[in-house]
Amino acid sequence: MNQPILTLSDLAFTYRDAPKPALDQINYRHRSGEFTVIVGETGAGKSTLCRCLNGLIPSFTKGRLEGSLRVSGQRASERPHVYELARIVGLVFQDFEAQLFSTNVELETAFALENFAVERDQMKTRVEQALNRVGLSGFEQRDPSSLSGGEKQRLAIASVLAGSPSVVVMDEPTTDLDPAGKRDIFRLAQVMRSEIEGILLVEHETEHVLSADRILLMHEGHIVQEGPPGEILADPRNVERHGVRPLQTTVLLSELGLETDALTIEDAAARIRSAGWRVRASAQEILDGTSRRERPSEPRQSVVHIENLVYRYGEAPPAVDGVSLDIAAGEFIALVGQNGCGKTTLAKHLNGLHTPTEGEVRVLGKSTADWTLPELGRRVGYVFQNPDHQIFANTVRDEVAFGARNYGFSEEKVVQKVDAALAETGLSGRDLEDPFNLTRGERQQLAVASVLATDPEILVLDEPTTGLDYHGQVAILNLVRRLNESGRTVVMITHSMWVVAEYADRCVIMSGGRVVQDGDVRSCFSNPELLESLYLEAPEAVRLGYEFGLVARSVSEIAACLERVEE
Amino acid sequence: MVLYIPSDSLLHRLHPSTKIVGLALLLILTVAFQSPWYQLVILSGVLLLARSAGAFRNLRRILPLMITVLVFSVVSWSLFRRVGDPFWTFGLLSLSTESIRFGFAMGFRLEAMLVSGMVFVSCTKVEEFAYGLRAIGLPFAVSFALSLAFRLVPLFFTRIGTVVQAQQARGLDLKSGNVLQRARKYVPLMVPIFVYAIRDTDLLSMALESKGFGMQGRRTEYLSFPFVWRDYAILGLLLILNIAGWLMPVP
Repeated sequence: MNQPILTLSDLAFTYRDAPKPALDQINYRHRSGEFTVIVGETGAGKSTLCRCLNGLIPSFTKGRLEGSLRVSGQRASERPHVYELARIVGLVFQDFEAQLFSTNVELETAFALENFAVERDQMKTRVEQALNRVGLSGFEQRDPSSLSGGEKQRLAIASVLAGSPSVVVMDEPTTDLDPAGKRDIFRLAQVMRSEIEGILLVEHETEHVLSADRILLMHEGHIVQEGPPGEILADPRNVERHGVRPLQTTVLLSELGLETDALTIEDAAARIRSAGWRVRASAQEILDGTSRRERPSEPRQSVVHIENLVYRYGEAPPAVDGVSLDIAAGEFIALVGQNGCGKTTLAKHLNGLHTPTEGEVRVLGKSTADWTLPELGRRVGYVFQNPDHQIFANTVRDEVAFGARNYGFSEEKVVQKVDAALAETGLSGRDLEDPFNLTRGERQQLAVASVLATDPEILVLDEPTTGLDYHGQVAILNLVRRLNESGRTVVMITHSMWVVAEYADRCVIMSGGRVVQDGDVRSCFSNPELLESLYLEAPEAVRLGYEFGLVARSVSEIAACLERVEE
Repeated sequence: MVLYIPSDSLLHRLHPSTKIVGLALLLILTVAFQSPWYQLVILSGVLLLARSAGAFRNLRRILPLMITVLVFSVVSWSLFRRVGDPFWTFGLLSLSTESIRFGFAMGFRLEAMLVSGMVFVSCTKVEEFAYGLRAIGLPFAVSFALSLAFRLVPLFFTRIGTVVQAQQARGLDLKSGNVLQRARKYVPLMVPIFVYAIRDTDLLSMALESKGFGMQGRRTEYLSFPFVWRDYAILGLLLILNIAGWLMPVP
């Protein structure tokens, strides 16, 4: 009874030509019916582990595999081909663009069944069931490229589910998704757990994983801790040390000196109250006073003025549909909204990559139509979502100098600007390294540095934290905050609502190409129903604040508003 | 394919193999004749087919190309080909009734080929194309690779677009400078594009393998197309036209 479906004994894997193992001494038994979440920093070996489970390692990616992996009691080494293990262990990847290849939803879902030689009449039913399971019934004839990010990822899951695997492994399925898309994936995982023998899921955000049966905390190729969420996540310092953002409930409990094993918002709030903590009478003044910087009494100079902007790609309905927006010098703006709501399209107007179909965009006092693209690009630094879209040079220094040289700075000025940019981004002394040897987080910082070297007044960042672990996220966010404090105007596109709450001053929410909400961050979070209706959700810390009737932006703000009343 | 236009026309409903073989037969038929009048008849025929398949939308897209091809071949063949009895000469250039006839014949032939190809892509999905190739006898891996190429080309172009924008945002100006300078400017584009292409291909291969691609032995098909009377009729008709066309003595 309850026989393990996966048994890993002393599993170790070293990529070909790698100096040290990516996985080492992995021992794990996945029991039937379990939902396990794998967390850990970048490079901890999470993806490598996932790929071992369905046989991609070692048959697709070569290297030295040691120890043993048993699937349904049978040694994996007796099934040398990926397709043999893949029937039992289905794998879903993070990048939903790269894993879909058919022209319609139905055929995408049927692909595995065709390979497994399932008869046609059965195939129809299984495709129907799988699509129904992920909520894509009625989408059969749609082109996958016309789906939203969340729908694409659910289609990828359906295409794996159709093959009726015993175990489904998902490698960061929600990283590129907006909050609503994330929630759908976790709801789906909940439904699936009762129907298949096991789910393993890699995830960065701890607040989503409370419903898991088991958490594996990985670090440098090892599973350093294994247990139910209540056990692993109850130690915020330990979690954070391993590159994972701790649950904000546990952070607050620990700040107040309480036991940290109440993980959910309700439990944590109840514990805090029963320990005698109450909201201070002066809470509102405290919150008003903690706004990161004093709002200047003088109206600040406007650096961006957008009026009735409409932008269409070809004959499609407008991607940006009548946006008017004013941005003042020195603001830190978060631009949020669902995948495909027009955020990136809007942002690309600021540096002239897009020109308005209708309306006008004025930057630094001049219409973008009157700027030359290079000159505007120098004044408005744009950091693309993925640093690998732009890195090409042999050394960090040349990479950073690229923009400055393009704009014809004198070599003397280039050296000076590059040095300053490297210093600001914490990359000083690494000038001669190969950019491709940097970690993903460092490459993101490099991308920021290469924009800084041209001395822009306005910085636009498109999802700078995506794909980074917690340490990487905090590093880049603190960098952006410093740049903002030194006077640069920042416009940041993001899906992470906690980033909005803790770092931005002003929040602009878009939906269907329009701006539907625009105000300082606290006012945005004071209306949870509105957020909900826009498929957004206040982050954990903010929702924890709601429990005390506060609209707080972070756990430390909540702590500042509480006081202990002696019984 | 990218230019596929959903419809329920007779051509759309043909068996994929009929579409492929039919296209081949049409192309061969256009080579059978040298007379502009016969070519005009074929061209009118394929235009009627295009009409019936609702492919005019796609033809409009390539209208500039079609006009250029027609004008260019009529003008250049008429002027450069020396046949018959020229009624006008100027250095290498000459004009004769025969060369003008030939120019029009070539122009119409190229148009007919273009239109046939366009009709084909307008009424054939990538999967149908792959299915049709398999039904003719091509191995699965080959037909799949071919159809995947069609699928990935547009995706690849969006990736290139992103890289170009990312570098433009950093002041890369591809328009100025001499040839050598401009060639050097492509380095900042090529490196990220190659990195991307390699990474995407790698991921896609893993996704394919994870869904049982490469499995030995029998494979079933989700799509199924019956081969019915209209397929026999169309192929039969095209075959007869071809035989007649190639056996006919003069035009």
